[in-house]
Amino acid sequence: MRSRLAFLVLLVVPLRAIAPQGNPRSIAIDERLAADAGLRVGDRVVVASEPGLPGDTVVVAGIVQRRADPAEIARGEYRVRLHLDHLQSLLGYGDRVDRFGVKTRGAGSTGDALSRINAAAFGFRAHRSADVAVETSRTFAVVSRFHRAIGVITIVASAIFLLCIMLLKVDERRRDVAALRLIGCSTRTIVGSVVLEAAAVAVLGSVAGIGVGGAASWIVNRHYQAVYRTPLRFSIVTGDIVLLAVALSLVLGVVSGWLAARRLAHTAPLTLFGR
Amino acid sequence: MIATLALSSLIRHRARTALAILGVAVSAAMLLDMVMLSSGMRESFRSLLLSQGFQLRLSPKGTLPFDTEATIRSADSLVALLRSRATVAAVSPVLGGQLHFAVGNATLTATALGVDPAVQGDYELIAGHSPTAPDEVVVNDAVLRALGRAVGDTVRAAAGYDPQLRTLSGQRVLRIVGRVRFIYLALDQRAAALPIATLRAMNGPASAGRASLAMVRLRPGVDVDRERAALEAQLRTVTVISTSEALKQVDERLSYFRQLAVILGAVSLVVGFLLVTTLVTVSVNERIGEISVMRAIGVRRWRVVAQILLESSVIMLVATPVGLALGLVTARWLNSILARFPGLPERIDFFLFQPSAAWTALGLLALSGVLAGVYPSWRGASLPIATTLRQEAVG
Amino acid sequence: MSAIVDARALVREYRMGEEIVHALRGVSLAVHEREYVAIVGPSGCGKSTLLNLLGVIDRPTTGELSIAGERVDRLSDARATDFRLRRIGFVFQRFYLMQALTARENVELPLAEAGMAGTERRDRALDLLDYVGLRKRERHRPSQLSGGEQQRVAIARALANRPALLLADEPTGELDAYTGAEMIALFERLNADGTTIVVVTHDEDLARAAKRVVHMRDGEILG
Repeated sequence: MRSRLAFLVLLVVPLRAIAPQGNPRSIAIDERLAADAGLRVGDRVVVASEPGLPGDTVVVAGIVQRRADPAEIARGEYRVRLHLDHLQSLLGYGDRVDRFGVKTRGAGSTGDALSRINAAAFGFRAHRSADVAVETSRTFAVVSRFHRAIGVITIVASAIFLLCIMLLKVDERRRDVAALRLIGCSTRTIVGSVVLEAAAVAVLGSVAGIGVGGAASWIVNRHYQAVYRTPLRFSIVTGDIVLLAVALSLVLGVVSGWLAARRLAHTAPLTLFGR
Repeated sequence: MIATLALSSLIRHRARTALAILGVAVSAAMLLDMVMLSSGMRESFRSLLLSQGFQLRLSPKGTLPFDTEATIRSADSLVALLRSRATVAAVSPVLGGQLHFAVGNATLTATALGVDPAVQGDYELIAGHSPTAPDEVVVNDAVLRALGRAVGDTVRAAAGYDPQLRTLSGQRVLRIVGRVRFIYLALDQRAAALPIATLRAMNGPASAGRASLAMVRLRPGVDVDRERAALEAQLRTVTVISTSEALKQVDERLSYFRQLAVILGAVSLVVGFLLVTTLVTVSVNERIGEISVMRAIGVRRWRVVAQILLESSVIMLVATPVGLALGLVTARWLNSILARFPGLPERIDFFLFQPSAAWTALGLLALSGVLAGVYPSWRGASLPIATTLRQEAVG
Repeated sequence: MSAIVDARALVREYRMGEEIVHALRGVSLAVHEREYVAIVGPSGCGKSTLLNLLGVIDRPTTGELSIAGERVDRLSDARATDFRLRRIGFVFQRFYLMQALTARENVELPLAEAGMAGTERRDRALDLLDYVGLRKRERHRPSQLSGGEQQRVAIARALANRPALLLADEPTGELDAYTGAEMIALFERLNADGTTIVVVTHDEDLARAAKRVVHMRDGEILG
């Protein structure tokens, strides 16, 4: 596949204002441009490489959906696809192209193809698509690192919040703990029951949290997809994330429950009663 | 007395108080970071755009400055026209391109800016002087390092490279006369600036009379928006962008971060609010008897509420400066991550500390924390005294 | 002697789910200045409910109640609070002192609430602690005091704003016999010094020390 990227001016002129040409070339436009300019398949428009140049009259042959490409997020440009020779002639580029895409016969043959092309190359160089992707996705690597950092802060905040809530929750059980101790329950039984309760609360909280997280993720996706007019998914709740959240809350719940329960279990029952 | 009661309650439950302070501090830090992210980025771009005093930027119609390879035709006449306007103090045309420096058998490519050295606003001189003669060039540290050259050295450079023939075109021997820092380019981006006429000549006929951008500095007192509108109406082949317009574009590009900041900021606020509400609710429940006794001996309801609110206020007061410090540290960390964005100008800070915004954020959190205590404390102080005392006596 | 308490046909009903509990069924009572009245009766007879009404911490369902010449049965919450602060002294069975405050600070609490300035407040609190025999324990916190001492601090607190009426709910209920006897003596001294007292008690010794005993049963005053 040969391709060329260029800046083009697209003049949207009413159909009747354009003098009929013999057989106009066809173009494809993205749905965003179609929506904003009110274009439909079959409409005729003028494309030029610079403002003020006469350009060519073309017919809109297709409306394409933009790919879910993070590189295009927040960019307002429209995408117009032309036949390669048409774009080359518009730009005065002769038969030059920016790049070729080469499809190999499976992953195993890619390395071989790469070295053979580069050995014979004259004025160009072949790269693996994966390497190109790494280079072009540097921006997203940064965003991803940023998200991870925010995630770490959020986890710390959640941990403190959870610890605090658990401490308060167990503290509320002072009288129950005192009563259990007065009827002769062992410290082990008391701590065990409190820890069990804390674990149950943590698990129930996690389940509710998964629900809230799923809903939040849905809202985030809907919102950003609408804002950026893209099918890209911004937030995905994966099994790993769910597992991490549940494990974290369970560990924190049990630890905080154990700490608070131990403290209560070692306090005199009458003191717990406030006497 | 009320203060003693409030403080003693906090001291009595040390672990709980410490955790609450820490929790609110983390919320405050997060909120501060998000406020810094949402407003700082914009402010940073604004000060960057205005740093050289150019309020308007003219780029090829429908494009943003240096967003595409498009250039303005007949740029010289455009510049002359602009300079003839009474409202215009200075015009700086800039042509973007590339320079291929010859290093042995290899070439080293750098971004090239063709400028009018007398009015340029693209770089700051660190050493040497601006390129005034046609064969002079200034470069940044990244180029000097890569070339292994110093100010005063000469270097062979070309504006074009034909990969088919592996030949350089538009070659010149240029003398490095200055070491500069490019304002709008990334720190690690190799870049050089030379007189615009030299770059055009090196580029060949395709670049004749062209510029990628013209920056306009208006005379003091001129209404920027009105001037922008007038130029836009008069000049059909360019888009005229004011700083506020450019900021709008930046806002659009970085809207993801701004929205993220708003969402996470709101979440932080809610978390802080919930934490304090929970804490005060439990605290009130624990002291329901004490509160009822206070009410029974004639302590007014608002004084009881004030005592409880004092507790949440103390938590907020202690947590806020801790959160401020924590927020500044985490902002530096997060900024160092985002600073690695490819092509980001060196001077852009995603997290810019602005005292007014910071105080607004922390004030908001403190207020929400205090408000969080209002309902549970009011509820506690409004319980029927006799019934509560009876229940406490039984309990 | 003028009536400090003038209660007429007080009715207090509570709703417990579907059921209505008749805690007081038309109680009328007059307590005169410098009187010392003990209200006795079995548990659940309504004596604490009556005390709560007299203390203006609860409102009668119907009936009229005047304390120190002021109608208090329909006071707003703010007015009732102020009335309690200036005209009523309360002593509870379980003392209910503020654990965070010292003995002196506990006594100072209602004085501070009434707006008394610092030095005057401190002096008054010390005088009251002196009166109940705890001057030397002014800096002690409730946890450092015995039950009897705590109750004496509670009495000093109740007397802080020179109330027209001192109400006590089982003041000896949490004390041993010896300390209880001390408390009875203190109440007698208080009354002798001009304080009007109404106590609710099961303690026969405390009731005997009162000048008048009011018997209650099933929400009504007997006899």
